[in-house]
Amino acid sequence: MSKRWLFTLLSLLLIGSFILSACGKATEAPATQAPATEAPTEAATEAPTEAPTEEPPAEPVTIQFFYPVAVDAPIADILKGYIAEFEAENPDINVEPVFSGGYGDTYTAIMTAIDGGAEPPAAAVLLATALYDLVNADAIVPLDGYLDQMEDKDAYLNDFFPAFMENSTYDGHIWSLPFQRSDVVLYYNADLFKEAGLEPPNSWEAWGQAAEALTVRDGDNVTRWGLEYPSGWPYWLFQPLAIGSGQNIVGDSDTEVYFDNPDVIEAVQFYIDLSHKYHAMPEGVQAVWGQAPTDFASGQTAMIVHSSGSLRGILDQADFEVGVMPIPGQEPDTYASVPGGGNIYIFKGAPQEKQDAAWRFITFLTQPKYAADFSINTGYIAVRQSAYDLDAMKAYVEQVPQALATRDALQYAGREFAVQDLGEVRNIFHDYLQKAYNGEMTPEEAMAAAQKEADAALEPFRP
Amino acid sequence: MSTRRTRSLVPYLLILPTFVFVAAFTIWPTINAIYTSFFRQRLNVARFREPTFIGVENYVKLFHDPRFLNVLRNTFIYVLGTVPASIIVAFLFAWLVNRKIKGVGWVRLGIFHPTILPMVSAATIWMFFFTPDYGLFNTTLSRLGYQGPQNWTGNPHLALLAVMIVAFWKNAGYYMIFYLAGLQGLPHDVFEAAVLDGATTWQQLRYITFPLLRRTTLFVTTIAFIGAFQTVDHIFVLTQGGPSGASTVLLYYLWQIRFEYQDVGKASAITVILIALLLIFTVSNFMLSERKEEA
Repeated sequence: MSKRWLFTLLSLLLIGSFILSACGKATEAPATQAPATEAPTEAATEAPTEAPTEEPPAEPVTIQFFYPVAVDAPIADILKGYIAEFEAENPDINVEPVFSGGYGDTYTAIMTAIDGGAEPPAAAVLLATALYDLVNADAIVPLDGYLDQMEDKDAYLNDFFPAFMENSTYDGHIWSLPFQRSDVVLYYNADLFKEAGLEPPNSWEAWGQAAEALTVRDGDNVTRWGLEYPSGWPYWLFQPLAIGSGQNIVGDSDTEVYFDNPDVIEAVQFYIDLSHKYHAMPEGVQAVWGQAPTDFASGQTAMIVHSSGSLRGILDQADFEVGVMPIPGQEPDTYASVPGGGNIYIFKGAPQEKQDAAWRFITFLTQPKYAADFSINTGYIAVRQSAYDLDAMKAYVEQVPQALATRDALQYAGREFAVQDLGEVRNIFHDYLQKAYNGEMTPEEAMAAAQKEADAALEPFRP
Repeated sequence: MSTRRTRSLVPYLLILPTFVFVAAFTIWPTINAIYTSFFRQRLNVARFREPTFIGVENYVKLFHDPRFLNVLRNTFIYVLGTVPASIIVAFLFAWLVNRKIKGVGWVRLGIFHPTILPMVSAATIWMFFFTPDYGLFNTTLSRLGYQGPQNWTGNPHLALLAVMIVAFWKNAGYYMIFYLAGLQGLPHDVFEAAVLDGATTWQQLRYITFPLLRRTTLFVTTIAFIGAFQTVDHIFVLTQGGPSGASTVLLYYLWQIRFEYQDVGKASAITVILIALLLIFTVSNFMLSERKEEA
């Protein structure tokens, strides 16, 4: 009797292990089969024309390319088109685009794969500011080796807008190249400005006064705000105020922040003044990132501070002339902005031949032609300066001159906030900046506390 | 003797497949979390990337960290605020719609529909409801005479309440379904006898409905409590835990520590605390309910 049970138990275990191994195979199958099924078609179309007498082309390398979608544009379709053109030019490489949520999701997905010992994608688009965390986690490879092999390395690198390259260098290496990039701009309702006889603001004071003049009240109710300035996730939109005040919150060092600098405190105070002194903006933290472009396009507010990536959506909705300009600075005729968005990285965990293939894909994607096309179809700023000399781009900015304004704001841009231990330091800054915005602490107290906590968090990273 | 011992193997074999999955996806990760919580491991600090044993330092640091204590406070407010309220309202709804009136199907659908929405969609809808000045929630409130602040997701005193309101709205209809099923399974003759004996509506509820629904209540409180600890999707959409951490709850904080701070050791310690809280509640809930049953 007991032998029979032992037999049953053993057979059950066998069945179990069989099912488990089958599951493993089922999930692996698509990845290994894909090249095999696609190879014959490639070989049939490409091989006879290009290399009729040489040996048949080697098994193509398949690389994964993770990308997030952070704007309202058909990124997936656009990328698919580029990949088809790339594969036609490079029959020995297959690119498998993988949509992976937002920036945070993409980062999480890749880091989880690396933690679990799995192979990461060969290339991915992640925030430019993720640099230090990625390097410290030993997740990415520097691109210098590839760049040094280029004949036109300097021309290539110098053609990217310098502001977009600010977060690519660390420890003497270049780690990423710009791909989908934006900056912070001020959108203003040019019709309302004209009606009120106002010029686009050229200083904080002019800005506050214009916002005040354009605020409409019906008794106690505000029917139109002069300005909406989202602060639910505040560091990015705050940076132009700090830069315009004379001191960015971050410098060249990866372990220094300037939260309690008097200029930064003045910038915090100016944000509060827009509500308390000019009465032109809702009080406190405004968690309205998503609604702000709609509020602006529908006339609920005369101005918003927002990403250049929202330009297309705003132009589609607005029935007035939309003005776009950099953020006014404290002194007359000074301006400020800050870049944002994602760069492309190559991952260390991918085999060498996949890394090499990823590099070829990156150089393909960053060609001026594709930078221009990507900008036209998404609203992102073209990352290459020469993209703006192309006919397609010229025709586009003829139609949408605001697209040039988003590019021109870059010349006033400072470095986007990125330091070691970014998640923690950014959280500290957010907490205290919002406390100041909400009046729970004075700007001086809040920024002093933020500086103290940030210094403590950064201490282990200092040499 | 041998027959008896071998026969007792059968139930173990029957639960074996489930046990394999529970062991692989629940028990093993739990043991693993307890183990790693005694190590310092930070993926974004080169010299702390390899785990170092530090004993209970992660726990000690957590309980001395005002941010973490604030998160615990928020979590208790969130759980104790949403769970009883949504269960009581769920029962009231179920009791009200458990009768034969015209159009009751529509009422049930109306109450149930938030449940079928994904949490992220629900939160996105509420983000528009919460919009100052013209949002539906604020215009309704001000018509009812409310004159307080309208900046629900940006005000430090309202943000936690705002995410609680969304959770309540989303869950009450879900729990109602369990109570409705429970109510419809109750025997009619008991109520008829009670009516003949002259029992008031309240007496019927108090002495028949509540006791007979005790098992439903046990089930609903358990899933509601666990759910309250687990649902954070709407916080990502509505407040990102802000302003200044005012709406950060335990699981959201865990996500921040693990994926933004890359602090594996501390995240494991928070996981252990979360599991302990859930176990304490679930076990005491069962024990209380069982004791009542025996009495």
